[in-house]
Order: sequence, then structure tokens, then C-alpha cells
Amino acid sequence: MAVNLEYVFRETVSNLKRNVSMASAALLTVAVSLTLVGGALLVKRGVDRATVQWKGNVELSIFMKADASQPESDAIDRQLKSMPEVKNYRYVSKPEAFEEFKKIFANEPDVRDSLTVDQIPPSYRVVPRAAEQTKIIGQRFEDTAGVFRVSYAKEEVDALVSVTNFLQIMLWAIAIVLLSAASLLILNTIRMAIFARRREVAVMKLVGATNWFIRVPFMLEGLLQGLAGAALAFGVVWVGRDLIQNRIAGARNDIQLFKQFLVTSSDVTGTGILLLIVGVVVGTVGSALAVSRFLDV
Amino acid sequence: MIRLRDVNKTYKGNVVALRDVSLDIAKQEFVFIVGPTGSGKSTMIRLLIKEEKPDSGRIWVAGKDIGQLSSWKVPLLRRNIGCVFQDFKLLPSKTAYENVAFALEVIGRPPHVIKQQVPQVLDLVGLTKKRDHFPNEMSGGEQQRVSIARAFVNRPLILLADEPTGNLDPSTSVGIMRLLDRINRTGTTVVMSTHDSSIVDTMRRRVIELDRGVIVRDQARGVYGAFT
Ligand SMILES: Nc1ncnc2c1ncn2[C@@H]1O[C@H](COP(=O)(O)OP(=O)(O)OP(=O)(O)O)[C@@H](O)[C@H]1O
Ligand SMILES: [Mg+2]
Repeated sequence: MAVNLEYVFRETVSNLKRNVSMASAALLTVAVSLTLVGGALLVKRGVDRATVQWKGNVELSIFMKADASQPESDAIDRQLKSMPEVKNYRYVSKPEAFEEFKKIFANEPDVRDSLTVDQIPPSYRVVPRAAEQTKIIGQRFEDTAGVFRVSYAKEEVDALVSVTNFLQIMLWAIAIVLLSAASLLILNTIRMAIFARRREVAVMKLVGATNWFIRVPFMLEGLLQGLAGAALAFGVVWVGRDLIQNRIAGARNDIQLFKQFLVTSSDVTGTGILLLIVGVVVGTVGSALAVSRFLDV
Repeated sequence: MIRLRDVNKTYKGNVVALRDVSLDIAKQEFVFIVGPTGSGKSTMIRLLIKEEKPDSGRIWVAGKDIGQLSSWKVPLLRRNIGCVFQDFKLLPSKTAYENVAFALEVIGRPPHVIKQQVPQVLDLVGLTKKRDHFPNEMSGGEQQRVSIARAFVNRPLILLADEPTGNLDPSTSVGIMRLLDRINRTGTTVVMSTHDSSIVDTMRRRVIELDRGVIVRDQARGVYGAFT
């Protein structure tokens, strides 16, 4: 066995050396496709997480009339407190609402200056325990005294969720297509490497080398290419995620949507390990398949 | 050592290569296979190493029915058979020594055996001085001797040679024949296909003549052009 190992490593190294350009082409192909696969998976992860947050924040707002009385407001407060369906709620006073309003229209002075504090309705922001209960909660307050209007965030979130669902399907499709492309490219590169060495394979068969003996150096070669390509992809994905995350964190306008679009470093590590496994499997199996075609004559 | 019974082989497109061939070759025999081009000589050799399968009939090599041999045992069959071809089939990136050593490496022989046997066989074929030359640095005759060394280094029971002198001039061919004769005298069965009448006529060994896949002559101490 020690003899075989020595032979296998010597053959593998000399093959890789002899076919530096071919080997690096395969390696880069793997790296590029796996980088895209990794990127797609991480974006999907971010979308998943953001969607959960958006869904968790499905809320309804009960806007009071601007001239609603204190007892009317207290009655609603009490009713909300007594309802088990309500997870939590928050009173947004006139000054708070006014600040929010000014912030939203900061870039449009005309709108911003068109209202005064007194004209802004105060509101209750209600987070239900389950998204399905939103409507039921809201209906109870629609005709209550002092209530101006009940508005639901549901419609907007539904639209958002359907967009992200579509996005996720797209990303999965891209990831699968790229992965198949990567597998085919590895298979083809190894096939070319074997074709370049068909004389040696023919001689080996002639003198009675076993199929496994012929196959193993090629499989090791494919394994190394897959592994190295995946490692490169891992690095690129890691650095790329850092750059993007820093961009978002450093951006002046803190847009909530992007803040929630968080990809943790354990996500990257997990994806990276997946990439390494995929690289190794694709490289090894691809080369085994490629070499089998030359062995069955 | 070799036995064929009613062997038929037809390639795609109804090309008949061998028809109802039966023959026996004993241990330590030296046999010439002669016949015009396309008469099935190479096909017979390919059948013996199970590179091709017969359509019908049975073949025994070294006492084993190779039709019954499972595919993973084919390499073991080939370790008992050395093969030499007209085009040498040497690896251009390896030296004479490495080409011969390669045959032992890939069947898992340990380094100390390789270090001992390769110089021995290179000495036998008279190439000790050229051991570090690459094939393109050697003459055709020298290359053929490397390929014979490679075929013989594992001390096979049988040596199959398909037109081994086909690319060589007459005097070089004589050297190759001396070598094959010497190998035969060590106890190895030699089967050689050839078009070279002077070689056959000089050696006076058993001659099997094929014509369009049929054995038309099997003669002990025969000559190339005799007719039955
Ligand atoms: N792989 C193949 N596929 C189809 N036909 C083949 C194949 N190999 C050989 N043949 C045909 O089978 C017949 C016998 O061929 P073979 O090579 O055995 O002849 P040969 O006696 O060795 O000829 P030569 O003296 O020219 O080497 C020929 O008609 C040849 O064209
Ligand atoms: Mg032939």
C-alpha cells in the first residue's frame, strides 16, 4: 500500500505540473461557478432572514382622530391590553408622529412644512401574535369612538413577501444551473487531461494495471482541483460579504430594509463548507466518470 | 498454454476477421502467424488479451477459460502476457529505464523489486548504456528492444508480438529475432505475427497461416510461402 501511495502522489503531482494551464483552467472554472453559487446561497439566506423580520413586524396602526379625547384614547389602551391576540403595542404621541413625519419627508420641504403638530393624528401601533389575526384585531376598532382609521401593513408585506419568494426561486435556479455547469466543466477538463494521457492509460491497461489503480491518480487530481477551486470561492465570498456588509453599515441613510438584510459570518462559514464539499464531490466524481469511459475498452 | 476452439469474430459491418479457428499452442513453443493483410492476425492477438471478445467459441490461456473471466480479473490475465507491437507504444516522456519500470510500478511491485529487475532486463536486451535515453533519442530497433524489455520484465508465461519487425530494416530485425529467440529459450511461449518471409524462412519454426480469417496451414518447422 505504501508503494501505491508513493506512486499515486508522484503521478498526481507530475500530472498537475505537466498540465498547469489545464489544471488552473479547471480550478478557476470551479472557483467562479462556486463563487456565484455561494453568493446566490448567501443572498438567499439574507432574504430569508429579512422576510422573517418583515413578517414578524406585521402590524396595524389605529389612527386616532386629531381631536380625540383622553378617555376615548384610554378606552382603546385598556381594550388592547386585555386582548390575548395582541403581542405588544405602542402609543405614538402627536410629537413623536410629527418627528417621524418630518423624517420621512425630510427631502421634500413643501410637504414637511405643510402640517403642524396639532394636525398630526396620534396612533397605536399594534403587533399581533400571529399575522392571520391582524384583520380580526383591526375590525374591532374600526367603529370605536375616537378612531379615525385602521390601517394594515399586511398588504404591503404580502407584496414584499411574494417578491422575495420569487427572488428566492430565481436564486435557487441560478445556483443549480451554475452548479451543473461547474460539474460539467470539471468532468470535461478531467476528460481532456485523460485524453492527453491516453497513451499512458493504454500502456497501463496493456501491462495489467487494475482499473482502480489507473483511476485513483485522476480522481485525486480532480479532488485537488475541486477543493482548490472551492477554497478560492470561499475566500472570494468571504471578502465580498465583508465589503458589502461594510458598505451597508457605513451608508448614511439607514434604510431599515437593508439593515435587516444581514448575513452572519457563521452563514458564510456554513456556505463555505458546503462549497468545499460540493467542490470535492464534483471533482472526484467527475474525474471518476471521465476516466471510466477510457477504461471500459 | 493457448487453446482456441471454433472461434468466430465478426466486426461491425459484417467484416469477418476470424472464422471457426481452432488451434493449440504448447508451453515454450515459438509460433509464427502469417497471412495477407486483413487476414485476422491482430484480431487473434487482441482476443488472447481479452481486448476483444469472440462472437462464439472458447479461448483458454494458461489453463483458464478467459470467456469465463470476470472483468476485474482481466488485469491479472494480462500480467501473464507480454505484448509487443509494430509501433512500440512507448511513453515519450519517460526514459528507457522509466518505461520498463512503469510496467512494474502500475501492477504494484515494490521499489526494491523494480530496482533489481529493470537493470537485469535492460541488460538482457542490450540497452544498459541507453537506460537514460528518451524514445526520440533512440533508433527504431532500440525502441523495440525497450518495448520487449517492458513486455518481458514481469517474466510472463506468454509473449505476443504483433509484427514486431514491421517498422525495422532487415539487419535490425535479425537482432530483434535473436532476442525473441533467447526469450523463448527461457521457457516463454512466443506468438508472433509477421509479413517478413526471410525471418520465417530462417527461423524454421511452427507457422500458422491465416487467409480471410480461416487457418489454411499449420506447419511445424515451416516456411513463409509454402502451400498445402
Ligand atoms: N476495430 C475494428 N472494427 C472493424 N473492423 C476491424 C477492426 N479491426 C480489424 N477489423 C477488420 O477485421 C479484419 C482483420 O483485421 P486484422 O487487423 O486482424 O488483420 P491483420 O491480419 O492483422 O492485418 P495486417 O497484416 O494488415 O495487420 C480486417 O478486414 C479489418 O479491416
Ligand atoms: Mg495487424
